[in-house]
Amino acid sequence: MAFVRFFTKLWVIVVVAVSVTPQGVCAQQAVDFNRDVRPILSNNCFQCHGPDEKTRKAQLRLDTPEGAATVIVPGRPEASELLIRVTASPDDASLMPPAKTGKSLRERDIAILQQWIKDGAKYAPHWAYISPKPPLIPKTQFRTVNPIDAFLFARLEQEGLKPQPEADRYTLARRVALDLTGLPPTLDEAEAFVRDTAADAYEKFVDRQLAKPSFGEHWARMWLDLARYADSAGYADDPPRTIWKYRDYVIESFNANKPFDQFTIEQLAGDLLPQPTTEQLVATAFHRNTLTNSEGGTSDEEFRNVAVVDRVNTTFTVWMGTSIGCAQCHTHKYDPITQKEYFEVFAFFNNTADADRPDESPTLPFWSLRDFLRKMVLEQQIAALEAELRGKNPEELKPQRDRWATLKKELAALKPATTVPIMKELTGPQRRKTRIQFRGNFLDVGEEVQEGVPAVFHPFPAGWPKNRLGFAQWLMSRDNPLTARVIANRFWEHIFGIGIVRTSEEFGIQGELPSHPELLDWLALDLQRDWNVKRFLKQLVMSAAYRQSVHVTPAQYERDPDNRLVARGPRIRLTAEMIRDQALMAAGLLSPKMLGPSVRPFQPNLGVNAAFGSSIDWKMSDGEDRYRRGLYTQWRRSNPYPSMSTFDAPNRDTCVVRRNRTNTPLQALVLLNDPVYVEAAQALAQKARSSTQTPAEAVTLIFRRCLIRPPADAEVQRLVKLFTDAHAAFQNDLNKAQQFAGKASRDPATDAALTLVASVVLNLDEMVLKR
Amino acid sequence: MKPPTAERLLDATRRTFLQSSSLGLGSVALSLLSESPAAAGRPADNPLAPKPPPHKPTAKRVIYLHMSGAPPHLDIFDYKPELQKRDGQNCPEKYLKGKRFAFTSGVPKLLGTRQPFQRCGQAGIWMSDAVKPLHAVADDVTVIRSMKTDEFNHAPAELLLFTGFARQGRPSFGAWTCYGLGSENENLPGFVVLISNGVQPSGGQGCWGSGFLPSVFQGVQCRSKGEPVLYLSDPPGLDRKLRRLGLDALKDLNEWQEQELGHPETRTRIAQYELAFRMQLSASEVMDISREPQKVLDAYGAKPGSGSFANNCLLARRLVERGVRFVQLFDWGWDFHGTNPKEDIRDGLTQKGTVTTQAVAALIKDLKSRGLLDDTLVIWGGEFGRTPFREGRTAGGSILGRDHYPDCFSLMLAGGGIKAGYTHGETDELGFQVTKDEVHVHDLQATLLHCLGFDHTQLTFRFQGRDYRLTDVHGRVVSAILR
Repeated sequence: MAFVRFFTKLWVIVVVAVSVTPQGVCAQQAVDFNRDVRPILSNNCFQCHGPDEKTRKAQLRLDTPEGAATVIVPGRPEASELLIRVTASPDDASLMPPAKTGKSLRERDIAILQQWIKDGAKYAPHWAYISPKPPLIPKTQFRTVNPIDAFLFARLEQEGLKPQPEADRYTLARRVALDLTGLPPTLDEAEAFVRDTAADAYEKFVDRQLAKPSFGEHWARMWLDLARYADSAGYADDPPRTIWKYRDYVIESFNANKPFDQFTIEQLAGDLLPQPTTEQLVATAFHRNTLTNSEGGTSDEEFRNVAVVDRVNTTFTVWMGTSIGCAQCHTHKYDPITQKEYFEVFAFFNNTADADRPDESPTLPFWSLRDFLRKMVLEQQIAALEAELRGKNPEELKPQRDRWATLKKELAALKPATTVPIMKELTGPQRRKTRIQFRGNFLDVGEEVQEGVPAVFHPFPAGWPKNRLGFAQWLMSRDNPLTARVIANRFWEHIFGIGIVRTSEEFGIQGELPSHPELLDWLALDLQRDWNVKRFLKQLVMSAAYRQSVHVTPAQYERDPDNRLVARGPRIRLTAEMIRDQALMAAGLLSPKMLGPSVRPFQPNLGVNAAFGSSIDWKMSDGEDRYRRGLYTQWRRSNPYPSMSTFDAPNRDTCVVRRNRTNTPLQALVLLNDPVYVEAAQALAQKARSSTQTPAEAVTLIFRRCLIRPPADAEVQRLVKLFTDAHAAFQNDLNKAQQFAGKASRDPATDAALTLVASVVLNLDEMVLKR
Repeated sequence: MKPPTAERLLDATRRTFLQSSSLGLGSVALSLLSESPAAAGRPADNPLAPKPPPHKPTAKRVIYLHMSGAPPHLDIFDYKPELQKRDGQNCPEKYLKGKRFAFTSGVPKLLGTRQPFQRCGQAGIWMSDAVKPLHAVADDVTVIRSMKTDEFNHAPAELLLFTGFARQGRPSFGAWTCYGLGSENENLPGFVVLISNGVQPSGGQGCWGSGFLPSVFQGVQCRSKGEPVLYLSDPPGLDRKLRRLGLDALKDLNEWQEQELGHPETRTRIAQYELAFRMQLSASEVMDISREPQKVLDAYGAKPGSGSFANNCLLARRLVERGVRFVQLFDWGWDFHGTNPKEDIRDGLTQKGTVTTQAVAALIKDLKSRGLLDDTLVIWGGEFGRTPFREGRTAGGSILGRDHYPDCFSLMLAGGGIKAGYTHGETDELGFQVTKDEVHVHDLQATLLHCLGFDHTQLTFRFQGRDYRLTDVHGRVVSAILR
């Protein structure tokens, strides 16, 4: 019998052996429901036998032990229908999953299910929905700086691995400066650190980075991807939107080290705080970054609903690491979230005054002091005149009437310096009722629902206000097992390159399991203690694990290409903004100017308009605004800044948790030919020529301004050779030399050859990496 | 097919070099002058490396000609004599009940076509004089008259058509295709987008975006005038020889780093620079239509340097000829509301239709004569249809226009395994409802993927814990239009 044969074969391979999978590396482990079993059931069965009863087949659900009781006999795999079905022969119609789904279980999957049933078929709640418990800090033979190292290194020991030695100081200086501020250190700063013999030299260097204003700019970039911040409203005509005050709020919040819980509550519900400050109102623009559809003939109510859906989905992605969006149209196929529960969350966000209007109202105006005073004066004078005119005939008091008209006109002409769209809660009869919407259609509605949270999450405390404020507090509550893990994991991902949970956007049942669950819990509890972002980040970069060299042997690399075990230092490609900022800084072109309206640096003209909209080409900003940090570049959704887009910057239509990090020939074309990088190379060349005596000195200066570390002799020689060859060629064609070196050059052959050297250095692999 | 996740794809690029690091890179320089895909030293696991589909395909590449704004199908393919008879009468109430229209409220007047129609080719496909050049290729095409979409505004409808979902954020058809099939010319982007008449489609770059797929799969916008690909040209003053000098130094320095620290990704980067160097030559060459004989230019109505739709059609042929997998054209100016004479379904349409379809017909003939039509899918159409009645805002004026209409529209397909000389589906006598063989846009996507060798339910990508696909959770293959 096929069935018997199958079992005898399997006993041999029951051991669950895994290489470096997210969940672990241990050679022999007992079957664990969350790690081993649920992914098999979820990927292969839940679509028809899961939480969604509408699509459930044969009234069988396998996501709960009660549901599975009819097909599983604990302890007896051979008597369990589940196992009989998944091991049926391919030509047997009873085979599960059915062939037409394209899904099939591997032998290993079947072995796991079998062992699991043999062990009693115990279910366990999904790990991420259980509150973290303080884990024991493991012991390790390797030197540790803090508990992070203990968790990581104890695991390395188990694996028979050892950490790399600490990276050299130049490398460390560049790495940690890039990680904390998005910019390399200055050469002087790095040199001082290398020479600092004090025991706490590194810590002082880290503290200096944390204190720089560029810290807030760098981390704001991360947050703005989540907030889907852009300077345009999206959809077809993609008109400009003024919302940069929100971007500045994020920068200043990171720089002020605002506790993360406060940062959260202000953004989700700043308007509902008692006597909200201007800052707290600006914060609520977080959810005004949704798209507004101004295309002719569109329904404002339809797209207001779309915006609310986006707010719900974004909130759950950012804070809960849960893609709840599936439940908008039907009960979730994997996580136990019903459609009704989705709209109960929707109800929290369904009562703000904004309504997909082209003017983005309600907005908060910002007045210059002069205009503000003038406005007050005008309003008073107008009020006084109106009082005087009240009850008078139109023929009377002609001078006062004229004056009134003039003042009204002047008042109307006064415009605020800028505005920012904000959240404003509707009150009284204006409040909207929320009904379930079928298949995501706002016109096809069912029963009315009240504000509430899905039952699978921690309960909403009785007595808390059932509004956005209560909801935000519920998110940040200590009883929430998810948010602290999700946020800790996200900071980790930005520092180490890959999350402890690799799917940093998804902690639900379909997400991957953490590589180091105890470490993640420790970090979550530690972060939750005070939500102190700078302290938390400092702890990460102080760890010995972070400070390791990136050196790797082919065998080590093959074993763990993604460095999930952190047996070496982090090595990841820089973000689009960092690549550009770094080049401008190396060239001495980067403007330190912070905050304010978005700017328009050079971009090539495309000669194309947005649909029903204006040209997507722009007039370049003047002066230093051409050389501001990338995060100040005007972000137009229909046409994101092309060179940054090539380096995987999203267009920010929707919340992006994880940017891709691709490596393409188009990126090479940007760094070689984009006039921004050519200009940077020219500036570097002229700096090098004017402050050095020999080609070797010149190429060394270029190299160090870019990469901080001193070049090896061979590197200097190779670049000098390039310089010499190029110089000879340019000598023969001074016109070309002048063109390539730039109009300002007074020694074109030398400058052109050095520009080529600088361009090569700006294009080095090392240059586009944090390592 | 169970394609890998993003991480695994990116890893694959890295890992390849462990296995093949001694192979190929030296030959890169040698293959400089060669355009043959085989000659180049590309990493075998490059995400854009060509790969066979799971099933036998009838099409290897796609040229999608999108008429942004939605052509008035009732004046082009879907002939309605009854509507002509009842021209000017009030629209029957039953067609308005519970419906939303973009610019029409109240009771609009029925609008019969003013275009003469005739049956064309041996197959006798109905076509109007607005698209006269297409009459000559009637026996090469299928016209679907029973298309249906869910959206009646441009941006959502275009996103639904090209990404399977009416909101931003999903990968486009072209991106899915390159994800599934890779590209056959590594010196050119696998997915090229060309825009004519100076305006992006309403769906914006989302129509050719990669969504959550790695960005290597997104469409690269090329231009038929000026620099064909952004940043393609070397900076002024730097010639190819000097560029090569620089790249040689770059390669040496990168290799030393790779030796010192042992990271194979460094090799990938070296290879990408070599690809870029070759792409500079091949992209400039392919985008230069002045190399075409005058009679070919004349057939399309193309003029070097003009950036017209005709130029883009000719470029589409040049691109697919060189192995580009997916070419998507967007032509602006099809939103026939009647707000100006160009949007009049009489002369306005005849002018637009004649110029446009001259190039379309030339493309079909050209592909056919080169033996490319058999395995190249060509699609011509818009994002929805237009109403059988006059648009509300312009109903009082003298220009005749129609409003947006999602319930019925027409689409033309050719090549790549699609029937030649065939009409599919019917609408009712006034053109309000599909009465036979409805084809939803998800069905169209399922069918086109089928031609390319995919089961649309199996070409998936895991994102946020879910296996996403182009057809969302819908779609069925319309086998009646297949050969």
